[in-house]
Amino acid sequence: MTSSSLELAARRPTRAPRRKRSLRANLLGWFFLAPAIALIGVFTIVPFGQAILLSFQSWDGVSPDTAWVGFANYEFIASDPVFWASMRNVLFFGVVGFFVGNGVALGMALAVNRITRGKTFFRTVFYLPGVLSVVVVGLLFSFILAPGSGVLNRVLEMIGLGALQQNWLGDPSVALPAVAAVFVWFHWGFGFLLFLAGLQDVPRELYEAAELDGARPWAQFRYITWPHLAPVTSIVSLLTLLAALQIFGTVQVLTNGGPGYHTMVPTLAIFNEAFVNWRYGSAAAMSVVFGGALVLLSLLQLAITGRRSRA
Amino acid sequence: MTLITQPPVKKPSSPAKRPVQTRPRRRFRADRVGLYGLLVIAALTALLPLLWMLSGSLQSLTELLSNDTFLPSEPQWQNYVTAWVQGDLGTYLRNSVIYTGCAVAGILIVSSLAGYALARLDFAGKGVFTVIILAVMIIPAPAMFLAQYKLLISLGLTNNPVGYILILITSGIPMSTLIMRSFFVSQPRDLEEAAALDGAGPLRIFWSVILPLARPGLAAVAVIQGLGAWNEYLMALVLFDDNALMPIQRGLTAFTSAETPQQQILLAATTISIVPVVIFYLMAQRHIVKGIGAGAIK
Repeated sequence: MTSSSLELAARRPTRAPRRKRSLRANLLGWFFLAPAIALIGVFTIVPFGQAILLSFQSWDGVSPDTAWVGFANYEFIASDPVFWASMRNVLFFGVVGFFVGNGVALGMALAVNRITRGKTFFRTVFYLPGVLSVVVVGLLFSFILAPGSGVLNRVLEMIGLGALQQNWLGDPSVALPAVAAVFVWFHWGFGFLLFLAGLQDVPRELYEAAELDGARPWAQFRYITWPHLAPVTSIVSLLTLLAALQIFGTVQVLTNGGPGYHTMVPTLAIFNEAFVNWRYGSAAAMSVVFGGALVLLSLLQLAITGRRSRA
Repeated sequence: MTLITQPPVKKPSSPAKRPVQTRPRRRFRADRVGLYGLLVIAALTALLPLLWMLSGSLQSLTELLSNDTFLPSEPQWQNYVTAWVQGDLGTYLRNSVIYTGCAVAGILIVSSLAGYALARLDFAGKGVFTVIILAVMIIPAPAMFLAQYKLLISLGLTNNPVGYILILITSGIPMSTLIMRSFFVSQPRDLEEAAALDGAGPLRIFWSVILPLARPGLAAVAVIQGLGAWNEYLMALVLFDDNALMPIQRGLTAFTSAETPQQQILLAATTISIVPVVIFYLMAQRHIVKGIGAGAIK
């Protein structure tokens, strides 16, 4: 008994050519995948196609009939100041999130990686804002940034910087940077965690060798840390950028896009177009234009990282 | 100077100890105090808004709006009672617990099945499915939520927990499947093969051998997706008009806009709403690091 089953086991890899078990193996594989395929098909791929169809139709959100209107929706949004204002603003969020957010994340990861005591404490605290919801962050900072009795203005007054007081969310010139700062506060912990994980994977021997050769900290960062972090950096950059570009709830709760359209963002513009103005067709056209831009960005990033990792 | 003089003294001891000894020495230039000062400032920046929320939720409205102090002179615990009752937070929290629990359970089952198939089973079309998963991950929510809403209308699933949970599960599948796949790939095959020799069928092996082994991977996925589902807002905003069905994030905005409660009550409601997720985070943070790492870097 035992000897024969052992023999069978030993022979199995050679005796199981792909062709022979194909039907059963294929059925089994697809059986395991069936739930995932069904859900993704129905709730992602079908809506994705629907979104494109809808952008060529006129729909009020209620009636079952949707009239085909060709490119009318696209022509409409092409001259829509709200949509283009939102695209400009979200570029600002992207740039701030990318440079400030990732910069803070990397800097703090380097700092935490150097200390010996309190690592867990700082790691826990730095990611803490990241577990809050967009609604909580929006509500909280709408109080903190309020004019008059707002906490930030009171703190500025207290430490003698009263001259810097602002109507943070109501003044068109500071509202966008203020909301971007809230975004950075909310999101940098994610990049921080990834950078820290990446730093811990850098082999210690490299630093020891570099030190024996007399390499300064900057040189160590430039020639050891940075190259090792490259894959993490590209992932973090992409994810932060996508999060910044898709920002919605924070802005909706904090400013609802105001004052004017000064903090309007595309996802909120799409939402308002559909659920406030009842123009689902042009909202869908916006989502196709904006979503398409995001997909292109992701593909571009993947192509760049792919080439870099192959090189 | 210390850099040059120290190594010869310390190195002869034992090579195994070296990493421990070199780490403090590397800090020879960075001012320790400066480093910790920087970290403390960053930590305060992260914490102070939350501490102020806590403090504000315990003040009376006059105190909150006065410019004198940041701490409550006399904690107003009844703010929490008012928030709980006025905001109907019990209902919202219960809904969120149910939706999050169902979403996580669904994601775990579906993505561990799919992840296992991608990691271990050999069948036609595997490559195609992998490409589909990656492609689906790239499609951003803003490109889809309107059409998902339209689809759920035609399925009669708006204002319906089932529709919302199905959306939550679907959006969690691609990333979770990749995490589970990379987890399964790194596991030894021995136990599965032994079970197969003992005559266990594929489903039995999956359920009794693989899933118990996959607990660390499942935990990482559960924590990440649990946080995501708990904090989901856009679809909840689109799908629910009925207050009795709203999850907490949607309920909070409904509370804000409908009743215009006083600031300190809103702060109390907000504080209540973050308690579950913060406790969960503090308990599970190790898994978060692992899960985010596995999910993003692979």
